[in-house]
Order: sequence, then C-alpha cells, then structure tokens
Amino acid sequence: MKSNSIHKLLLLGVLTLSSVSCEQYFEPATSINEESALTNAADVQTATIGTYAVLLNAAYVRSVHFLMEYPSDEVAQGQSSADDLTRAYRYNHINTSGHCTNFWSQAYKVIAAANKIIAYVPNDAETQLRQLKGENLYLRAMMHFNLVRVFGRPYTQNGGNNPGVPLLLDHLTEEQQLTISRSSVKEIYDSVIADLILASELMSEDKACSFASKEVALALLSRVYLYKGDNENAITYANLVINSGRYKLLEGSEYTGYFKSAPASNQETIFAIHHTKVQDRGFSSLGSMYFSGDAAGNPLGQGGSGWAEIYASKKFKDFVDSNPQDLRRNFITPFILNGELQFNQRLVPVTPMYYINKYSLQEGVINLSSPVYLRLAEMYLNRAEANAKLGNTQLALDDVNLIRQRAGLSGSQLYTPGSLGTKSVLNVVMEERWLELAFEGHRSYDLFRNNLPMERNYPGTHSLNNTPTTNINQTVLPTDDRVVFFIPQAEVDRNPNLTQNP
Amino acid sequence: MEAKQKSFNSMKKLKSNLRIKSPGIKALKYPLAVVVGLSLFNVPQTMALPLSGKAKIHLVAEDRKVSGVVRDEKGEPMPGVTVALKGNTAIGTTSDINGAFQLIIPEGSLNNAVLVFSFIGYEAVEAEVGQKAQFDISLNSTVSQLDQVVVVGYSSKKVKYLSSSVATINNEKLRDVTSNELPNLLQGKAPGVVVSSASGDPTSAAAIVIRGAGTISAGTSPLYVVDGNIGGTYNPVDVESITVLKDVAATGLYGSRAANGVIIVTTKMGKAGKTRIDFNNTLGFAEATTGPFRMMNSQELYDYQKPFLDRDPSVLNTNTNWWDLAFRKAFVNNHNVAVSGGSDKTTYYVSGNYYKEQGTLIENDKTGYNFRANIQTQLSKRLQAKVLMNSRYNRDNYTNSNTLYDAYNNMPYDPAYEADGSPIDGRTYPGWYGRDRESFLHSIQYNYANAESLNFNTDLNLDYSITDNLTFSTYNRVVFNNGKSASYNDRRTKQGGANGGEIYNGSSSSRRLLTSNRLRYEKDFGKNNLAVIAVAEAENNFNDSFSAAGKGLPPGRDVMSVATEVLTNPTGDYFQSGFRKYLGQIDYSYDNRYFLVGSFVNEFSSLFGKNNSTANFVQFGASWILSNEEFLKNNSVLTFAKLRASHGTVGNADGISNFASLGLYSISQDASYGGLPGAAPSQKGNPNLTWEKIKSSNIGFDLSFFSRIDLAIDAYVKESSDLLYRQPLAATTGYSYVWVNAGSVRNKGIEFNLTSTNLKNRDFEWETNFNMAFNRNRVLELSDGASVFNPGGTQPIAVGHDMNEWNMPVWAGVNPENGDPQWERILKDADGNITGKELTSTYNQVQTADSRQFTGKSGTPKFTGGISNTLTYKNFTFSAFFNFVYGNYVYNNSRFYFDNDGGYESYNSMVLAKGWNRWEKPGDIATHPKSVVGGNKESNQTSTRYLEDGSYLRLRNIRLGYSLPDNILGKTGFSKLSVFVSADNLWTLTNFSGPDPEVDLSSGNSSLRYPISKKYLFGLNFSF
Repeated sequence: MKSNSIHKLLLLGVLTLSSVSCEQYFEPATSINEESALTNAADVQTATIGTYAVLLNAAYVRSVHFLMEYPSDEVAQGQSSADDLTRAYRYNHINTSGHCTNFWSQAYKVIAAANKIIAYVPNDAETQLRQLKGENLYLRAMMHFNLVRVFGRPYTQNGGNNPGVPLLLDHLTEEQQLTISRSSVKEIYDSVIADLILASELMSEDKACSFASKEVALALLSRVYLYKGDNENAITYANLVINSGRYKLLEGSEYTGYFKSAPASNQETIFAIHHTKVQDRGFSSLGSMYFSGDAAGNPLGQGGSGWAEIYASKKFKDFVDSNPQDLRRNFITPFILNGELQFNQRLVPVTPMYYINKYSLQEGVINLSSPVYLRLAEMYLNRAEANAKLGNTQLALDDVNLIRQRAGLSGSQLYTPGSLGTKSVLNVVMEERWLELAFEGHRSYDLFRNNLPMERNYPGTHSLNNTPTTNINQTVLPTDDRVVFFIPQAEVDRNPNLTQNP
Repeated sequence: MEAKQKSFNSMKKLKSNLRIKSPGIKALKYPLAVVVGLSLFNVPQTMALPLSGKAKIHLVAEDRKVSGVVRDEKGEPMPGVTVALKGNTAIGTTSDINGAFQLIIPEGSLNNAVLVFSFIGYEAVEAEVGQKAQFDISLNSTVSQLDQVVVVGYSSKKVKYLSSSVATINNEKLRDVTSNELPNLLQGKAPGVVVSSASGDPTSAAAIVIRGAGTISAGTSPLYVVDGNIGGTYNPVDVESITVLKDVAATGLYGSRAANGVIIVTTKMGKAGKTRIDFNNTLGFAEATTGPFRMMNSQELYDYQKPFLDRDPSVLNTNTNWWDLAFRKAFVNNHNVAVSGGSDKTTYYVSGNYYKEQGTLIENDKTGYNFRANIQTQLSKRLQAKVLMNSRYNRDNYTNSNTLYDAYNNMPYDPAYEADGSPIDGRTYPGWYGRDRESFLHSIQYNYANAESLNFNTDLNLDYSITDNLTFSTYNRVVFNNGKSASYNDRRTKQGGANGGEIYNGSSSSRRLLTSNRLRYEKDFGKNNLAVIAVAEAENNFNDSFSAAGKGLPPGRDVMSVATEVLTNPTGDYFQSGFRKYLGQIDYSYDNRYFLVGSFVNEFSSLFGKNNSTANFVQFGASWILSNEEFLKNNSVLTFAKLRASHGTVGNADGISNFASLGLYSISQDASYGGLPGAAPSQKGNPNLTWEKIKSSNIGFDLSFFSRIDLAIDAYVKESSDLLYRQPLAATTGYSYVWVNAGSVRNKGIEFNLTSTNLKNRDFEWETNFNMAFNRNRVLELSDGASVFNPGGTQPIAVGHDMNEWNMPVWAGVNPENGDPQWERILKDADGNITGKELTSTYNQVQTADSRQFTGKSGTPKFTGGISNTLTYKNFTFSAFFNFVYGNYVYNNSRFYFDNDGGYESYNSMVLAKGWNRWEKPGDIATHPKSVVGGNKESNQTSTRYLEDGSYLRLRNIRLGYSLPDNILGKTGFSKLSVFVSADNLWTLTNFSGPDPEVDLSSGNSSLRYPISKKYLFGLNFSF
C-alpha cells in the first residue's frame, strides 16, 4: 500500500509537469522580422511597394495637399472648420498643426524606408535591383523636395541659404538621426538633384505612372531646376521627358475626363499616387473637401458625399470663364440648384459654391482619386517659363499655345509676341500655369518663388483673421513669415538641434 | 545598465537550471487532454481502492460510533456541516438534510479525540469526544469579517490568518447598484480600488486601477480569477463573493500578470437540503445625469452671437433641443431564477439570467442572457468533482456614430422634423445652419451598429486526497468565444450616401485551454502548522478574426450578398499565445500567533520574445496576531489585533503589443500599392526589451474593537522599474515609436477600511462602512538620464513628477483692455535660466518647451473612497452609499467645440457655468475672451483654461427594502419575499462644468461625454 501511493504520487508528478511543459513560440502572422526582410530581389520589390504605400496614408496625401494648395488664391473656404486645414488657408499657422505633423512624419517615414533599400542595393547590382534602387532614390528626392518647399523658404530668396529641413540620408547612425539639424535649402536641393540624377541612371524599366521610372526622375529634375532658377537645366530635362515619347497630351473628352479615368492608363500622367478602387477614403478623402455629389457627377449639397467646403475662388472662376470655350472650366462644377448658383451662407461674405472635381469620381467612385504629382503639361509649361526668363519669347509662347489649343482655345485666344499688350511673356506663362495646373498644389510656389505676392480679394473666410469684418482683401507678400509653415513643435521637442521658423 | 545586465544574466542562469526537460512530450499541444485522461484514469482507480470499504473492514468493537444533530442559531437543522476529527480530517462526514450525522471513530484515534464542526460562514465548534456518543451542536454564524473564509489565489483562508491585504465584498454588498458589469458594481466599495467609467453607455464597462497605476504603456487593469482559474466568465448575480488581492504576498502567485492586483470571483454553489428556488427581479428606468450643464436654446445662442455675428432674427422661429431628442428615459430590467439544493453527496446551483439595459442615448442598449450550472459531487470519500458551466450571450446595440456629437453641437436654429413628422435630412434642407449638416434622427431610421458575443466556459475540477495530508487537485477550463459585429449605413443617409449604402461585417472566434494542477500538503506538528503548495499551470490561446465591407446596396437591404462592390478589402488574421507557470508556496504558522508565507514563481510566456521568455518572482509575507498573546488575550476593548507585512516582486507585460521587441516590416493591405503586396517598416526593434518589474512592500494592521468595530489599515510602497514605454521617436528615425524599458515609478499610499456596527438590538441595527485610499505617484528616474519623455504631451513622463501631471501653457485670463486671451510666457536668458514671465496673446509663443509648465495638477485623484450606511428596523432595510474622488483635474476637451469664443460659430454653445462671464467692453474683468468669428487668437487651444477640478461626491445608491416577516410568509408558501426601491447616482456634488465629472482616470480627458445614468429601480425577490 505504501509503495502503491508512492507510485501514484510519482505518476501524478510526472503527468502534471509534462502536461505543462509545452513552451511554444509563435510567429507574427502579418509581419516579418526586420532582419530577414531584405535578403533578395523579391524582398526589395515587396519593401519598395511598402514605401510607395506610405504615400497613400491620408496623413501624407491629404495633409500635404492641404499645406501646398490651400494657401493659394484659387480656393476659397466657405466656413470656418474644426480641422487644422483652415489655418493653411488663412495663414494663421500654429506650431502644433496636425497636418504639418502628419506630413513631416510620413515624409520622413518614406525617406527612412527608402534609405534601407538604397543602403542594401549596390549601384552595380543586376537590372531589376538597380531599377528598384532608382525608385527609392526618386521617392527620397520627392520627399525632401516637398519638405523643403513646405518648411523652407523659396530657393530664390537668399540664394538658397535659408534653413531647409533635416537631410536624411542612408548610413546615418541612430544618434545622428535623433539629433540631426536643418540643412540649408540649397543643400537639400543639391541632394535632391543628385538623387534624381542617380535614379534616372539606375532605372531602365518603363513602369506605369503609379511607379517611378527614368522619365519620372527627369520630370522632377525639370521642376527642381526651375524652382532653383536654373532655367537651362529646367529646359534640358523638360525636353528629355517630352522627347521620350512616353507621354502625350490628352485631347477633348479624354482631357475633360482626365481625373475620372483609371490612373495607370492615363497617357499624360508622369507620376500619380495611385489609389485603387478599394482605397476610397469616403468623407476623409482629399476630394471630400471639394466636392459633394452623386456617382454621375451631379452636385449635391454639403454633406451629400463630402464636406464640400473648399471651393474654387471667384477670382479663379472668373478668370477661367473669360474664355467660354476653355475645356478647363469642366474641372469646376458650380453647385446649381433649380437654376440658381448656391452660396455657402454660414458667414459673411457668402461664398459661391464652385465645387472642384479634380479629386473626385475616379472610375466612378465619388470620393476616389489618385492625386497627380507630375504630368506632361507641366513639362511644357516648365519649358515655357524657363524660355520666358531666358528671353526666348517665341519658344515660350509656342508651348503656352500648345497647352491653350489642347484646352480648346484657338484663333485670337492664342498668343503671338504682338498680342501680349501690357503683359510680359512671363505673365502669360504664369497665367497659363495657373489655368492649367490649378488645384494641383503649384500656385503658391509659382508666385512666391517668382517673388510675386498672393492677392486674395474674393469672397471667402481667409480675411476673417480675428477681425469680425466683411473685408475680403488679403495680400500675402513672398517675404511674409507665413509663406512657410512652423516645424512641428513635437519634433522640436524631441530633437534639440531643430530650430523653429520665425 | 551594466548592473541590470548582470542580474539579468544571473536570472537566465537560474532559469536554465530550473528548466525541466521532457523531450519525449514536447509535441504535447493540448495539456487538457492529458489532464482529462489523467482524471479518467484516476477515477476508476480510486473507486477500486479499498477506501470505501475501509470503514467496514475496520469496524471492530472498540471503535466508537458517535452521532448527533447540528443546528443553527435559530435551531434550524443544518445540512452539509463538515464533522471531522481534529488533526485527521480523513475521519469525517457531513450532516444530512436533517442536520444529523453519524461517524465511527477508530479505536486508535479515540485518545484525546476532538470533533470539529465547520461550515462556511459559521464559527467552527470543537467538542472533545471523551466518553460521549451523542453530540447536539449549534453553530453561530460568524459576525466578524475576520472569520470570513476568503479565497486567496491557490488556497482559501480565514481573513484573520492572512498575511496579505485583501478586500472582500459579498454578493449583497456588491449588488446594490444595478449593472451587468462587475467594475461598475465595485466602485467605492473597497479601499484602493479606483473605478472610473469613461461612459454611461451600458455596453462599455468601467476601468479599475488598484493602488495607483505603476506603468506608462503597459496595462493597468487587474487580473480576474474566476473559480480558481485565470480568466473566465460569470454573471454578477451568480457571484458569491469578490476578493480583491492587493499586496504582493497574495498577488505574487500570478507572477507576470499580477502587477495590477487580482480580483477573485467565486460563484455560488448549492447547499445540501431542500431544493430552493429564488426569483430576483429588478425593473426601472434611467435618465442621463447632467447637473447644471446644458446647451443653449435659440434665444440664448442668438443673444450670445449677436455682438459678433449678424444673423437674421428669423432663426429664432425654430428652437430645437437636440440634447432632449438624443436622450430618453431608458428602461432597465434584470430577471434571474436560480434553483439550488442537493444531497449530502451532490449539490447543484443552476441559474438563468436575463438583463436588459437601455442606454439613455437613443438606439443604445445591452441585452444579456446568462446560464450557469455549478455541480459539485463527492465521488468517493477522497475524490471530489466540480463541474462549472457558464454560457453567455450578449447583444450590444451601439449608438449611431453622430448622435452624441449632434446632441452637443447641432444648432437649435435647425428643425428636427418636417411638418409630417418625418426627420429632416440636414444635407438637403435649405439653409441648414449646423456645420455638419446632419441630424442623427434621420440616420437612425435606417442605420445601425451592433455586436453579438457568445461565450461558453466549462470547468472540470477534481480534488483528490492522496493521503490525509496530501491533496492533488486539477483545475481545467475550456473557453470558447464567438463574436460578430455588423454595421450598416443606408444609402439614404449621410453616412452611407457617398457609397450608395455600406455594410461592414466582422467575426472573431477564440479558444482558450487552461489547466492548473496542484499538490497541497498540510500538517500540524503540535502547535506548528505547515502547508506547502506546488502548482504547474499551462494555457494555450488561439484567436482569429475576419472582416469584410461592401458598398452599393439597395435601400433597406443590410446583407453583404446584395452589395455590388467591395468597399475595402477583406481582412483576416490569427494570433496564438502560450503560457506556462510553476509555483511553490510554503505557509507556516505557529500557535495561531505567528504566520509566515513564502512563494516562488517561474513563468514562461510566448509574448515575451525569445530572449526573455521566462521570469522568476519571489514573495514573502508574515503576520502576528497580537491578540492571541497572553498580554492581550481577553482584552475587552481590543478584541483582535494583527500586524501584517509582505514584500516581493511581480512583473507586468500586459497590454504591450505582441512581438514588441522585434524590428518588424508589416505586410498588410496598408502596405500594398497599385494592387501589389508590400511590406513597410512598422516597428523599431529593441532586442533588450524586458518586462516591468514591480517590487512592492506592504505593512498593515487588522484591529477589532469591542468585537463590533473592524479596522484594517495598510501602507504600501510599490516601485516599478524597467517600465515599458512606447516611446515616441523623432520622425527622422523613420519610426513613430519604439518599445523601451524606460525607468522607474513609485506609488505609495495608505488605505483603510472601517466597518462598524454602531447600534444593534432586537429590532434595530445600524452598520457603517467607510473606506478611503490615498495614493501618491512619482517618476523616480528615466532611462539614459533623460529628465522627461514625450515632452510635448499634455501628460509627459518627467522625473520627480506624478505620471499623470498636466503640463501645458498656463492660461492667464482675459486682457481687460481688448478681450484677448492671454497665456503666461516664460522668459529665459541665454543660459536657459528663467528670468521672469510676461503675458502674451500669441499662442505660438507659449506652446514651446520653455513656456509649457508643470501645473502641479494631476489626472489622478489625491484620494478616493466610499461610505455606506445600512439601517435595519425589523423587516425594513435602508442603505445609502456614497463614493468620492478628490483632487484630480480633468481636461474638459469638449469645450474646444462648444465653449470657444466664436471659434465654431456653426456649433451650438454651452450655457456659461456659474461664475463665468464674457468680455464685452474695455475694462471688463472676464473669464471668457471677446468672441470673434473663427475664434479669438486660438483661445481654445490646449491650455490650463480647460483644466478643471474633477473632484466629486456622488450618492451612488440609495435603497429601501422590506422583507415579509416569517409569520405572514408561512401562509403564502414562499420561504422569502422581499421588495425594494432603489436609486443609483441620484445626487452629485462637483465643481466640474460638464454634465458628468467622471472620466476614465487613465486619460483624465472629458471629451463629448456620454454621462452616466440616474436609475430608479423597483425590485421583487422571492424564494420557495
């Protein structure tokens, strides 16, 4: 009996312990360990896609659009908003701006992810890897360029020697990343140009406009040189893109349906942030701020499909209407109810509700769009602006006329050196850039980098800056402090070497 | 850092020495199967053993047969009383239905034999056998809390023998307030247990923090242990008692999950005897508490806005009270039937419950069905089995996404209904004033969001007495959960309009297998008592989830199959985890005067990551019952006195993300682009990451005066080191955060619990309970010598400060000259020394590292507590229970929307609270700046302006009950019949300007709060 209970005891002991000796580890189902993430070309491809995907985050694509577009004179807000976007529109920035914080952190996220691949792939790797490295170099350049435009003063001021943004290259130590200080605007431009040139050399695949390829890098080079004031190079790189034969200007109904078509098949787009049909953000989309309507494109009241509180300004609408044949009038859908134009009644002055539809209705999905970053028309206009500045009047007007003809204008609506009147050829180019590239984030840069003021004398809420008045005159000088945004205070708090903008 | 590494290495060594190798059984995945197999194997064997036949064999002439009847104080026979020989419990029996018992005492045990009669809730009686054969015994119910037997982790003990700080709440005390969620019922009832509810929504439970939060980013909620095993489900009506374990000697056995205290839930078991059927019914209604808070009506809003916004007076033709349209008188009912009883061998408790609570916000309700069956049987003299089953179905209907928002913000100028009574759609109504052009009344005609959950929980517990001193127990549990959620936005509504209707479906399921196997050895050696417990425990979890969303649905069709297109790509994921634990505990006492307890825990968790997957924790406790010493024995004033002390370590890794130590690329739809799959860096790795270590010490007194006043006082220090912190990173690192072990935080506090029977005579009794807890929190150090983490945050982590201390620009009131807002700007010289401060009206100048200030005001209370009084007169019982929270500051974030000096002219505004006034003309001394369209110089940005005192005193419950007296009951056939009227949250004292001062104290923010309910309830309970 004694031995019996000892046996039982032992048995119990063994069973008890063994029953619980299952020390199992489990692997994450939706992640890969960083150490094994980059080991071959397929991994580099997967990781590169992941880098592009950051551009889709609303915190990037929506925030950067607000910061770049809303300071312009082509939009008017009809009411005050709980969203920080109003501050971009009204130039009453604060250093805790949500959209600035969003944009800053997403942009550096793209750069850091790109850096991992740039560091991993040598320049003499096989073709596919060279292509992918080039794409990452392009993305890094694009982010640095956008950052320096939002947070650094125009290159043309002080010869690029104003503070830019931190230049985040590969091979920095963690300590360096945490204590990095702002490079000058010029240093950022130099690095952007170097990245883009190397990218254009490494890339050899003609990928769809959702992805970077050789001509995408060349097209951005054209813009960067133009912003820098290097007109010869702006022309050189515009030519390389135009003459590549990869792109063509869309005509007629194809042109008026530009932003409704599936982005990958668009022959004019050079680079767009491609949103697929399941990447519709609904009311949180970029287009929801501009447009409210049904799937056929008919306008509805605010709240129908979108917030619809940012409109084309009366100033721009009047300008584009000056030629009734201008196809570009189609990119504005006035909200007309029972034959009457509607006004946003919330505040005085009441604001006409000219809905902008460049960010709506892609493939029939109301709030879906794939914001265009580079397209062929800009290359002609970059070349025109550079030629105008170099005194090549006829060459400049040729490009302007090409764009005007495509927009349905003809005869006396086209320019000859003799028909300019009091306008300079540069005026004409700038007007054309405004008409053609409106709402695509160009306008404020086009003015300020050319040392021109922003005149905003039209109904909107922009001049209600803490004064309860119906005064609707606002002029922002290119030297104004608020032409650039504050560095996000949270970043300044974390990095003692980051200096704040005045 | 080096020292840390060293101790870590030595721990690793210890760990590897301890590891028990069992290569042959490595593949064993389902420990439960083994245990079930073991038990099956065990049962027949036990049956076959000569245990049951033992008595017969040994029945010889010299053995003594004793018998008798056990009765309670009223002389009623008591079934189920344990009768056993002292020091040899194997010789024992239980009383039958008539309270009668028979026992044969073997000749060898007769010498100095003493019989012990014991029953839970009654004072045990000892009787010397001597020459007697007949014993008629009466047991008295234990009056004192000290004699309550409480379950503490892996054993149960009388409170007076514990070395730990625990709080016990019985069923009656627990269920005065009406709710289906335990945390809501615990509020204010145990010292140091701070309950804070983030919402009056019946579908959300309150949060519990025990003895202060000692962590930054890891979880703060306590561990629940139901009927002896970690986790599990229960309905509050089936709860027999709740024990809250607070100090480390008790919680330590739960190792890495014990950092935030342990709440032990014990459900009811049947009692041998007559079958008893209990019906409990509560019904009533609820309304939102608002205090003096209210939004403006049309005239008030017009008058307020007139100076800065020229509106057509025709707006006054409409005066819609959106708040009243959003809230309602809501109904609450709770019905329960329980059948219990059994024989002396087998008892059962079977209970069914239906609970329905409507939220005070329209559309919102919770419905719960719960079924429990607890069966306990004595399979043989040495083997006891328990089967506990709980199944639960819950259905939650959530509020429409905009109802609460609109209730606060919609404009009174906008009408709610058309002339024909149908709700107006704000999108198409001409001249709608409200900013968001919406009315929830229109949306809720069609839209909904709900969730259902189904939960099965089954326990099989076996206790086997191997010898008289050695018991083997196996506690096994399987849990199955199924959840599904659905939300539908009809194409006719604003929410579904853009996509032509939207539907979202989600489902999740999980299973959990758990086994806990315990050996317990207990023996008296003269005055020495020794108890040793060894436990081996394993747990395996598997969870998976799936969701899909479609768009393009015909109106009113709310199923996925009618959707014409995918809205977002379907998602699906699974996750597994495993735990294993060994623990040993030695419990020693001498002469009921000195008590010592020590325990050691070794744990493995698959969540910790490979380098740090096991942990060891050690705890000690000691206590001394002074009143059992000669010098205090029979003292008539101090009838009981005990000194307790404990010290030990536990860990915390709860609530951090899985695989937190790994650098990860996430492969998800968010990382896909252009239709191609991608992977993006998502988490920065930290291979040195380890769990938090919490070292805590407790010292306490339990005192009893005149046997009617019980006082427990505890003081504790809880120091958490290697704090887990999700540290935000500068964006230039490419990551938004990294998990780090950040430093250390100390919580120290004092708490007491006083229960006094103030008056007691034949007809009248008055009892008071008063408990209070003070806790102080302080960050001691941060890693790498940093002085502050997350510096821009409103509650940064800073050395020398309370973890929840508010840090923000300091509001300096209104400039009397021009009505501008003002803040304090701190001036510094070139060396960074503060040279002074000035007032500024430029917000950007104060939202800076220099000018953000520590306010000395924290989100956590200085003290919390509760006081209850119960008066009984004959068959009437009256009770009133208050709870209070003092010294915390709440950031009233909602005022950003509706108290913003013109910032949002198309939102409604709140009526100014008492003592507030607006600037109107130069010279005015005002609390509120001049109102300006679009806002006055960012006056509604984060600053101490919206930081308000969150202290409150609340009458949590008041209740009057009446039980039918016995002499009337006899004629009715009922054995018990009682009625009550009760009210929850009837009255609140606070200076807070919002509708409800309660907030989730872990954030301290009040944002468009769903206020808690005042409930008026009627109850009818009867038994037969």
